[in-house]
Amino acid sequence: MDLLEVRNISKTYGSGEAAVKALKNVSFSVPKGEYVAIVGESGSGKSTLLNMIGALDTPTSGKVVIDGRDIFTMNDRKLTVFRRRNIGFIFQAFNLIPELTVEQNIIFPVLLDYQKPDGKYLEELLAVLNLKDRRDHLPGQLSGGQQQRVAIGRALFTRPALILADEPTGNLDTQNTSEVITLLKETSRKYEQTIIMITHSRRVAQTADRVLQVSDGILTDFGRGQDVHEASALQKSGQKGEQE
Amino acid sequence: MKSYLDLIPISARVHRRQNRMTLLCIIFAVFMVTTIFSMAEMGIRMERVRLLEKHGSLSVTELLDSSMGQTVIPVAVLLFLLILIAGVFMISGSMNSLVVQRTRFFGMMRCIGMSKRQILHFVRLEALNWCRTAVPAGLLLGILTTWGLCAVLRFLVGEEFSDIPLFGISMTGIVSGILVGVITVLLAANAPARRASRVSPIAAVSGNAEKGKRICHAVHTGSGRIETVLGVHHAVSAKKNLFLMTGSFALSIILFLSFSVIVEWVNYVMPQSAAAPDINITADGSNVIPYDLAEDIREMQGVKEVYGRRSSLDIPASMNEVGDFSGTVDLISYDDFDLRSLKKDGSLKRGSKLSKVYGDSHFALAASDEDSTWKIGDTVQIGEEMLTIAGLLKNDPFSSDGLTGGKLTLITSGETFVRLTGEKDYSLVMIQVTGNATDADVEAIQKAAGETYSFQDRRDERTTGTYMAFVFCVYVFLTIIALVSVLNIANSISMSVSARMKQYGAMRAVGMDGRQVTKMIAAEAFTYALLGCAAGCITGLWFNKLLYDILIAGRFAYAVWRFPAASLSVILLAALLAVAVAVYAPAKRIRNMVITEVMNEL
Repeated sequence: MDLLEVRNISKTYGSGEAAVKALKNVSFSVPKGEYVAIVGESGSGKSTLLNMIGALDTPTSGKVVIDGRDIFTMNDRKLTVFRRRNIGFIFQAFNLIPELTVEQNIIFPVLLDYQKPDGKYLEELLAVLNLKDRRDHLPGQLSGGQQQRVAIGRALFTRPALILADEPTGNLDTQNTSEVITLLKETSRKYEQTIIMITHSRRVAQTADRVLQVSDGILTDFGRGQDVHEASALQKSGQKGEQE
Repeated sequence: MKSYLDLIPISARVHRRQNRMTLLCIIFAVFMVTTIFSMAEMGIRMERVRLLEKHGSLSVTELLDSSMGQTVIPVAVLLFLLILIAGVFMISGSMNSLVVQRTRFFGMMRCIGMSKRQILHFVRLEALNWCRTAVPAGLLLGILTTWGLCAVLRFLVGEEFSDIPLFGISMTGIVSGILVGVITVLLAANAPARRASRVSPIAAVSGNAEKGKRICHAVHTGSGRIETVLGVHHAVSAKKNLFLMTGSFALSIILFLSFSVIVEWVNYVMPQSAAAPDINITADGSNVIPYDLAEDIREMQGVKEVYGRRSSLDIPASMNEVGDFSGTVDLISYDDFDLRSLKKDGSLKRGSKLSKVYGDSHFALAASDEDSTWKIGDTVQIGEEMLTIAGLLKNDPFSSDGLTGGKLTLITSGETFVRLTGEKDYSLVMIQVTGNATDADVEAIQKAAGETYSFQDRRDERTTGTYMAFVFCVYVFLTIIALVSVLNIANSISMSVSARMKQYGAMRAVGMDGRQVTKMIAAEAFTYALLGCAAGCITGLWFNKLLYDILIAGRFAYAVWRFPAASLSVILLAALLAVAVAVYAPAKRIRNMVITEVMNEL
């Protein structure tokens, strides 16, 4: 069953001559547990697409259905609660709350729900994220990689069905990038979560189950990440052979 | 662009909305000081003309030694200092928020090569750039207000103010206005300028002011709902901002409580009694003015009210429960109109039952002060008659200093007095004339009174106009203070919110709903309000008492400082209103903005 269904999403900013079409009739669906990478040039519309899926922004037309629910038919309050419980966000700039400790940042969405955080799950997550000895640190006392791991913890803590990540490795070095990606993949497998991730990195994209490309607001499905990698490698070696 | 400083007017145009409050604060400070000093100079010019007419010469010392100089000058200086401090606080507060909001801009400037010194210079000049518009606006407003006030004093009040210059320009007012504008701005710009110069170039990349700052204390999430805890933490974690915001609240309250003493002062200096007579007919202390004369005058043209008093002094009496009673009482009779006026004037102490005194009764009112021992319900035996004290006056209207000096003076109705003493005639007859009464009407009354008694025409001594003008001015100032406080507080909170916009966006993204955002901002605002009100009430009440002691208690022995509950409630309500306005606007802005927009705001 598809967890996410995007139907004919369009987004236009401005009006008249100044109108910019950021997304043009984008449609696709993602089954439960799939790990999807979205690639594209800067300004191609991929962040806009992710923001629509996460209901951070509203489309000019079209529908987004998550777990069978058309999210834009909900009012702001219901949508917020839905987002809090069903969607986990990971941002390039981490966006942690500077005055909350690692542990508090991770349990923050549950605190917003006025629920008691699941202590056992928190311990488990801290161990998986390798943040146990940093639990009482503030974000300002952590490295970039550690901060992103906290952000992943926050995204995972409500056990959301869908995780949206906007260039989560954009601010990280190679070592941290590979650690974060491995962690994301492992945790999503473990907790059966669907991941949609924007990335500029070919290496990151090749780890995905499927790659979508956005170019000038139009979406193209490239299929399996590994295939994309192989195709692009073949294309490169072909060009090289021709040159020789 | 010839210099990097040419960016200042461009930046001012772009940030017009954010700068509005800072401009308003400068205008406010300049306006207040210009008006106060201009009015003071006009008063001195008027006094000079008066003294010149009277003595033919005068010296400055003579002016300063006058009772007006003695009282008004130290108070003016105190209020001037308060306004100066309030100005520095308000301007500094709003500039500080502006700098915090523009951390990224300053970071970018550092990135592209602006030195720390240049940033300092930039922020200071930017502040002075506001003076270009705000100072002339404040001066103009101050001068116009002075003209308006002078016109009111000259035409509506007249008499003692008829010499006040109408379109006078006060150089003292203008110079002090300019000085206050420039000095407050330079003083206020100092801290934000240094703060801006310390912004690291990295802030241009990270963009969020909060990130550049090291946060040392974590929030205690267990102590309440997360949004409330975060809101309170936002307020108390930034010490400097907390100090400025608390200071803004506190100063508004201090200014209000200080100015409100002046209203009370006016009440003491120019007591407005409903029974103030226009004409007095007095005998030499004995009850000899015929009752029928009063009745005849009542029927005459131009007469509004006629009421008389009788007195019987040092009557032997005994009193229950009062040990140090002197053994004699003074008995004074008041006609009904006179008695009613006591209530209207607020001369009676709480618990007094005036209604029992009217007519032929066994009740009386007693003059009292803080030290007098008699109380409501006490009984006084005069001959065969027993009188019960039904009410107490707040002071002794028959002594020069308002104190009883241990002497019991009873006020009874006319009927009771006649029953007790058998004397029907008056020792004093007072007359109020109608608004359209002519001099001929008054002459006719004088003629009817004859030459046996002393006749005093006191129409010229009416102070109602002066009183109204004074009270009006003070209330205008109080309203301005309250209004500016509301605006300043609302704006400061709005700017504090703007500085955290990106963080709020992130919180919204991970699941904080609009209501929770509002609660978070409200918690922050209420923390400022609570601390500010506490500090303001404590310091404000101290100032209130100090000014009361200087202005009132020092001159009116019977005056007792009371807790200014009404003034305090008004300004606390204004502060609450400010918080409500302050929370509503930015919370609505965040709620109505698309989350991605909030996150990209900075």
